[in-house]
Amino acid sequence: MEDEDKAKETTSGQKVGVYVCHCGGNISDHVDVGKVCENIKNVPGVVSVRNNMFMCSDPGQEMIMEDLKNGTIDRVVVASCAPSLHETTFRNAISRAGGNPYIYEHANIREQVSWVHHGDNATEKASRLVAAAAAKAKGLQPLEAFRVDARKHATVIGGGIAGLRAAKDLADRGIEVVLIEKSPFLGGWTAKWDHVFPTGDNASDLIMELAPQVLNDPTITVYNCARVTSFEGFVGNFKLGFKTQSPEKGEYEDEIKKMIESGKKPGEFIPFVGVSPSSGIPDASEEHTVQTGAIILATGFRPYTPRTGEFGYGKFQEVITLPELIRIIAENRENEPDDTLKVNGRDIKSIAMIHCVGSRQIPGIHEEDEDKPLNQYCSRTCCSAVLHAANMIRETHPKTHIYDFYRDIRTYGRGQEELYEDASKNKVVFFRFEAQDSPVVAKNSGPGDHPLLVTVKDTLTFGEEIQAPADLVVLAVGMEPNNVSDLVEMMKISEGVDKFLLEVHPKLRPVEVAVSGILLAGTCQAPFDIGEACAAASGAAVKTSALLGRGYVELDPFVAEVDLNKCKGTGACVEACLNKGALTLVEMEINGETVKRAQVNPATCSGCGACTAVCPERAINVKGWTLKQYEDMVDMIVADRIAA
Amino acid sequence: MSAQENQAKILVLATEDCAYPGADATGQAHMSYPENTYILRVRAPVMFPEKFYLDCFTKGIYGIIIMSCGVECPYEGAYNALAARIEKVYAIMRDQGLDSRRLRLTGICTVCTRAFVKEVKQMNDLMAELGPPGSGKKAA
Repeated sequence: MEDEDKAKETTSGQKVGVYVCHCGGNISDHVDVGKVCENIKNVPGVVSVRNNMFMCSDPGQEMIMEDLKNGTIDRVVVASCAPSLHETTFRNAISRAGGNPYIYEHANIREQVSWVHHGDNATEKASRLVAAAAAKAKGLQPLEAFRVDARKHATVIGGGIAGLRAAKDLADRGIEVVLIEKSPFLGGWTAKWDHVFPTGDNASDLIMELAPQVLNDPTITVYNCARVTSFEGFVGNFKLGFKTQSPEKGEYEDEIKKMIESGKKPGEFIPFVGVSPSSGIPDASEEHTVQTGAIILATGFRPYTPRTGEFGYGKFQEVITLPELIRIIAENRENEPDDTLKVNGRDIKSIAMIHCVGSRQIPGIHEEDEDKPLNQYCSRTCCSAVLHAANMIRETHPKTHIYDFYRDIRTYGRGQEELYEDASKNKVVFFRFEAQDSPVVAKNSGPGDHPLLVTVKDTLTFGEEIQAPADLVVLAVGMEPNNVSDLVEMMKISEGVDKFLLEVHPKLRPVEVAVSGILLAGTCQAPFDIGEACAAASGAAVKTSALLGRGYVELDPFVAEVDLNKCKGTGACVEACLNKGALTLVEMEINGETVKRAQVNPATCSGCGACTAVCPERAINVKGWTLKQYEDMVDMIVADRIAA
Repeated sequence: MSAQENQAKILVLATEDCAYPGADATGQAHMSYPENTYILRVRAPVMFPEKFYLDCFTKGIYGIIIMSCGVECPYEGAYNALAARIEKVYAIMRDQGLDSRRLRLTGICTVCTRAFVKEVKQMNDLMAELGPPGSGKKAA
């Protein structure tokens, strides 16, 4: 009975249901959805045309399921956003209605129509794309996905707080983990901080809560001083090569020196360095290979390094970055409490803090490097971090005054607006500037013993020019993603123009990249604070568990298929095949005669279609993507009228 | 179905790993381009025989841009096989009196939005200059 049903589904394909999405207005503001439906209804094979405000919503999906269940349709076309977003959604809806998920075709009328074209021509183009999709849908056949065993093993790349969090969460779900860290130490930039906003926790406590849990977990293996060298395979079955070796001369020199000076043993926290795993620093280099089911990238960020002369950085020794100030605050805590902050024995009576350094850069205003785009994004964390530091200083060293120069204050998160209010109560003095009138840091040639003078056109006093003498200028530098171009290249993942890694969709598929089985944790994808980085890491760990937990993964069945009614055994396809062994000529008996015919090995066929192009008999095609389907689509695109 | 009926139609064969997401990124950036472009998602354009391209021109497609992954091609050897085939198509096009600039092979990555728009605009300008594919001299 089941076979009979399947046969019915296979041979029909003449009842195409078309569903057009308004996407709120994203589509229907520019494309006349009613007219598209009208244009499409007489296209051959189309038996039902419906539309919905959001096809991806439950009611939208139910429209498809209802039509499938009652037999109105046997092929589905949804015209909506890019297929990368919702192709899977609608295939799943078809499965839930008892259909085969591969009787589905997607028409992209948002990213490729309504967001780039307007007016009648947009409606016309959308109609043709939907008609072409319907034409392709008519030729779709039900297919069975391949089921491949998945290893219950994940690899986390990066041993900062996000990587540690992800590794621990995975291990708690019973998944074996390899953690690869390029530096000798765990803890990342969190380990290089002092008290963190908004809770005031000591960063070292956070690391010392998490790192021992990771180091002591028998299901987690940590490799430090390790770099990924090769990548192959697919979800559930990746093969990752990496190399461990002692740092090159000059690399991590300060950190290693600090470790030796501190006398701390592996597993102990070294302030402003991190934690060394028990293996210590490797002496010799060694190549490793790991078979792994999924990969979590937790490759993190680095603070922006100001250009020489940017707000006097590199020109005046009194100009430092916020991470440098944080270290000074921590070091001061070890000294006797004093009303005034001290740096190298020098009393700091006045600090100027400048926001948005290396963030929210504007073309034409900020200087641009040839090989590096401007950081046009907001780094999000610096406003809260700088005000948290300002409050700590004002509360500990009341005779140190603080002048805060900002473009906008973005203390956006829970418990963070309070930092701004506290700063006001702590008598931090605020000046606001426009990007084109940034503060100027110069040598103070006037009276007083303050070495620097900061001049700004202050918009809070309607453009008055104000000067503040300063003993220290602190630049609230933004975040830049670590350079992972080698991983991007190897794994074929997407990065934005800002070089942060791109997730598929921030709401519908957060922390996933387009390559199945690779996930993102933490600041490799955007500026995050520690809490957000850990939330993303836990999210990535949960998604990885869900992916690997079943013990198998399903792969699309888009491999070549020989039509034995047409194959004459010319062998042209075997010669053209790019994956040697995927196609062979085999002897078989047809109508009592022994003949040679092409045979596909679906396990090794990559589905590129190189065979399709060369077959003189048109006897071989990639399932779901046949030459005939493309010809049918072109016919719809060029047709005088799309309806019959 | 009138506004565009006589427009020069450009077919874009865009690889699902690179150029098609590149076209989506162009949309996400709301970068406008001529609407006579019809983008078809392909796994690898190496699947199309020479005849497919020639038939497209016969059917009335003005120009074709193959937006491949170039050196990023996930199918080893497919790009070279494709490039060799396109050379053959060019030879046939010349024999038939078709301007070979009507078919263009290019590489577009997932974030190559500017390159995407540039390719489409260039082809569109060229089509305005060349007119329909049947207008040139044609071999018997």
